[in-house]
Amino acid sequence: MGSLTSYLPIFVLFILGFLFAALSIVASKLLAPKRPTTAKEAPYECGIVPTYELPQRFPVRFYLVAMIFVIFDIEVIFLFPWAVVYNSLGTFGLVEIIVFSLAVFFSFIYLIANGALDWGPIKVQRPASESAPRTTSSTVRRVSSNNEAA
Amino acid sequence: MLATTIILPTINYTAILPELIMLGGMLVLLGLVAVIPRDFSTKTYAGLTQVIGTASLVSSLVLWHDVAAHGAFQAVAQAVDVDGFSVFFLVLVSAILIVAPAFAADYLHDEGIEGAEYFILALIAGAGAMLMGAANDLILVFLALEILSIPLYVIAGLNARRATSGEASMKYFLLGAFSSAIFVYGIALTYGATGSTNLADIAAFLSRNVIATPGTLYAGAALLLVGFAFKIAAVPFHMWSPDVYEGSPDGVVGFMAAIAKVGGFAAFLRVFVSALPTLSSIWEPVVWVLCALSLIAGAVIALSQRNIKRMLAYSSINHAGFILMGLIALSSRGVASSLYYLFAYSFIVLASFGIVTVVAKANSGSAEIDAFRGLGRRSPVLAVFFAIFLLAQAGAPFTTGFLAKFYVVSAAVAAHSYAIAVIAMLSAAVAVFFYLRVVLVMFSGSETEDAVGTPEQHPIVLSRWVWSGIMACAAATVIFGIYPLPLINFARAATLLFR
Amino acid sequence: MLHFAFLIPLFPLVGFAILAPVGKRIGNPAAGWIATAMVFASFIVTIIVLAKVASMPADSRLYVQNWFTWFSSGSLSIGAGIQVDPLSLTMASFITGIGSMIHLYSIGYMEHDEAFPKFFVYLNLFVFSMLMLVLGENLLITFLGWEGVGVCSYFLIAFWFTRDSAASAGKKAMIYNRIGDAGFLLALFLLIERTHSLTFTTIFSRLSSLSKGELIAVSLLLFVGAAGKSAQLPLFPWLADAMEGPTPVSALIHAATMVTAGVYLMCRVSPILHLAPDAGHVIAWIGAATAFIAATTGCAQTDIKKVLAYSTVSQLGYMFLAVGCGAYDAAVFLMLTHAFYKALLFLGSGSVIHAMHEEQDIKKMGALCKVMPLTSLTFFIGWLSIAGVPPFSGFWAKGDVLSNAWVVSPALWAVGALTAILTAYYMGRQYLLVFLGERRWKSEGSEAIHPHDAGWKMSAPLIVLSVLATFGGLLNLPFGSKLAFLDSWLAPVVGASLLHNTDSTAQLWFFGVADGVFALAGVAIAYSLWRNVVDRSVLEPRFLYMAWFIDSAIDRLIARPSTALAAFSATVVEPRVIDAAVNGVAGAFRLSGQRLRRIQTGYVRSYALVIVSALVLIVAYFMVRSGL
Repeated sequence: MGSLTSYLPIFVLFILGFLFAALSIVASKLLAPKRPTTAKEAPYECGIVPTYELPQRFPVRFYLVAMIFVIFDIEVIFLFPWAVVYNSLGTFGLVEIIVFSLAVFFSFIYLIANGALDWGPIKVQRPASESAPRTTSSTVRRVSSNNEAA
Repeated sequence: MLATTIILPTINYTAILPELIMLGGMLVLLGLVAVIPRDFSTKTYAGLTQVIGTASLVSSLVLWHDVAAHGAFQAVAQAVDVDGFSVFFLVLVSAILIVAPAFAADYLHDEGIEGAEYFILALIAGAGAMLMGAANDLILVFLALEILSIPLYVIAGLNARRATSGEASMKYFLLGAFSSAIFVYGIALTYGATGSTNLADIAAFLSRNVIATPGTLYAGAALLLVGFAFKIAAVPFHMWSPDVYEGSPDGVVGFMAAIAKVGGFAAFLRVFVSALPTLSSIWEPVVWVLCALSLIAGAVIALSQRNIKRMLAYSSINHAGFILMGLIALSSRGVASSLYYLFAYSFIVLASFGIVTVVAKANSGSAEIDAFRGLGRRSPVLAVFFAIFLLAQAGAPFTTGFLAKFYVVSAAVAAHSYAIAVIAMLSAAVAVFFYLRVVLVMFSGSETEDAVGTPEQHPIVLSRWVWSGIMACAAATVIFGIYPLPLINFARAATLLFR
Repeated sequence: MLHFAFLIPLFPLVGFAILAPVGKRIGNPAAGWIATAMVFASFIVTIIVLAKVASMPADSRLYVQNWFTWFSSGSLSIGAGIQVDPLSLTMASFITGIGSMIHLYSIGYMEHDEAFPKFFVYLNLFVFSMLMLVLGENLLITFLGWEGVGVCSYFLIAFWFTRDSAASAGKKAMIYNRIGDAGFLLALFLLIERTHSLTFTTIFSRLSSLSKGELIAVSLLLFVGAAGKSAQLPLFPWLADAMEGPTPVSALIHAATMVTAGVYLMCRVSPILHLAPDAGHVIAWIGAATAFIAATTGCAQTDIKKVLAYSTVSQLGYMFLAVGCGAYDAAVFLMLTHAFYKALLFLGSGSVIHAMHEEQDIKKMGALCKVMPLTSLTFFIGWLSIAGVPPFSGFWAKGDVLSNAWVVSPALWAVGALTAILTAYYMGRQYLLVFLGERRWKSEGSEAIHPHDAGWKMSAPLIVLSVLATFGGLLNLPFGSKLAFLDSWLAPVVGASLLHNTDSTAQLWFFGVADGVFALAGVAIAYSLWRNVVDRSVLEPRFLYMAWFIDSAIDRLIARPSTALAAFSATVVEPRVIDAAVNGVAGAFRLSGQRLRRIQTGYVRSYALVIVSALVLIVAYFMVRSGL
């Protein structure tokens, strides 16, 4: 186990963190006064009783943008160190980074073609074909998106 | 500065040409689908995928010629092995990618899943599976595992219209990510214990040194084992597979089942046979238990399934047990028999799920066993083909299924693993029951036909795509079942040229 | 030239492959012509290859063509290929030669049959299987051909399967052959176990690894197979029933070729039999007994084809008598000549049956020689041939067998000689009743028939075969080694295993004269007894008509108890014992399956829990092993 002794501080920190969390919860249970009311039990305990369920969905576009951001993030993560040691990597590095950039570029084109960066009113990208089976969930989705647009 | 200390690897691009063809072809499809109008037919993309698969097959065969003539070699900074074993998987994966689009083309079109997305993802997964067989470095194994897995998560959720598809995708992703984390931790521990991620270096290190406190190494091996066991759906790491297979789009399940098993086993066999053989006395009992559990649970639970997709999922688990027997034998004969089994399994499972797809479609999406009632009268030819594939899975003679089972069992017997051989044969006997039940249902069931009335009893019309897929798989199953020598020799040569 | 040998079996296979899917569309009679052309092409190739082999030195007349390794398992490797040597070429040439004549004949014989194309599909498949049987380079290929001809025989016997008797005759042939096949298979297993090979040349070079007992066992087991296929005691009753098939089938399969497969097999494995002389004695005596019993049975039959069927059994008995004595060349000689005259007789009887509107009872014929001169003449030649009247071919072949039998045991010779008289007698009886005597069929009135010779397609084969039956003896004349073409031709194959014939020239002359006298005596007896008489019930006792009640005895002692056992199993054992056990086990499995299924909750969290639990167990196990 000799090689593992260097991990001892991490292990100790892990134990301490666990103890702190456990102690806080236990102490709060033991010490805090408990006088629950309906308003306090409600989510987002801020005194106002909710009258309707909040819409759980928000436009998928936010996720898409976040994902595109991640992709470019990764590209930068790769590009930056390459740029730093560009000279010593030479042609090999150039070829590799071009291959990498091309792959990212193709996916970028794909994203644009799919309207990932189109803002504004929702366009129907894929006309629902006649043969597509209309299920309950798909109908609900279509109706709800129409409402949102309106 | 640091400039002079970077050692640049020389990259032998021909050594990884099949993978490059897959990925390059994928990029082409990606570009096409971006610039071409959306209503471009899936069939065109299916055809293009088959072309890419064929190109990759040709370059794999060229590599095979090289390896056979000049012996195995390594490329890309010793991270990639080019030996008989890796070429076997290059060939097998290419062949799967030629056949699989045939089953998906019409299905995707009919389901309204237009575009090339499935084919792009399939090509990426194929490249991952190829790398799984070729990787000689744990880091590359991990990368390949992810390249294989992530497209499969997406494929499972391809049918966004159906909630079950999303559920399958989510389950597969969560559990898959979980197992990947376990796997990468195993890599870390193994690296910590041996000082290398290169499989050959690990093997050399372990054969030269006796490790006084092997705790880290053993823990690493255990975690690697669990990571692989999840990918190949060995009991008790199998629980995702029935849910995922049932929920995923019908037309692509066969591909998912085949490619995941092929890729998983490729790396499993490679890592444990070539890097960790010195620990075999330690991991072999665990693999034995996984194998026995898979054999028994796969067969027994499949008995009580009414849904054919779930039944096939459990029978896949049973097959995984059989393939593991080759690893237990821990001989080149054992590995060769596993390779033969993988080849046989891939085409049988592709065609089986393909046929389930068309039958389910003709029965308003139901893959329950009742959908198959009277199929023998409704579409006799289709029923006969399905019977062939079911019998092949059951291990009937004159199919690759029989020889595959025969070879793994005889390899186990040759390695004196009698108990597992007995368990395997008993599980095969149990398995025969549920395969034959489907065959029986297809060719009997006249009383219900009369009782129900026959609103949907007109014959099932199959497109040329599906026929071509079925015929290709049937040819692979029957021809290599009657005349197995070329395939056996290929599998044997693959293990002889195994470094 | 020799590497074209693969074409010999290929042609009939191509014919089969063409006719099986599209035969119906090709129709009548084109399908028949295609089939005939294929067999004839195969005959041409055979003759070319035969000429080439004959031009080679005697000791190098062996050519093995290995197509591919079929499968290999452990030390056993089975190839697919053919072996060309004098024996296999002799067989192939008469199979294709007589086969093409019978194909031609069938075009005429079957022309009004609805299933005309199907008939030729089976016929071509049969010729292919038969050629693989005789050309196979190892016992497994031979066995495949063996099974192939068996199944074709089944199809063809039951060709008119709407007739109950034809369907059950087919089944009977199949079952009797299965008994023989079991013996064949056991012999194969024993040979694999001891010599690790099935290739003929390899087996023969490794015979020293078999003990005396094992050699006898292999010989007798192979003989069991041969007895099934070649209708020897006690497995012969199926051949009489097999006459339910169309007459060309009886001629091709149940007289000339398939039934001689057993004799071929015995000659092929002659090196094994040579080392097991005790087995040889058993074979010789069974052959002799079969010859005698079948000949007596033939004396009492009234169906024109049954007479011929029993005479076939009897002649096959002769061949086994020769095999058992070690006179393999005599067996092949008799097989060849028998193929000529028996095919001739069957085709002649087919002509008669055709002309008589499917009437087969010889008692209802008579005086046909006037209206069917050609058939009558050729049948007459066939009769003299089979009777062994000099100088027809049967005389020389039978004489060869009998003189060899004398060397082994005079008793065998005596049985054979007695059988020879009987043969001449019952064949004479048949000829006299059919072609001479009074007319016993209606030539006037509403059911009148007007028999006449058939067209050229049916007549030509009769003429060719009667020429062969007359002069077939030239193949092997017993006047010194120069004229014994067949003996010296076969010497490279069977020479080392042959019986050493010690008969002096004087003895040979004596036997020759004796054989001629026996034959003429039989003919004379027949003529005096049956010239004008139709009914002599004293000479046709029920005991002989029923073939010594052997069929009935098998039925009573084996078939019925087995049926009863099967019925008992079906009604009592199956539902109460086996089903109960199987259902119990299945129920147990299904129950456990349902239990196990409950783990499959569908929740990702519970799956993750299972994964983690198993992971902890495995890591714990590894930690324990690491000694932590």
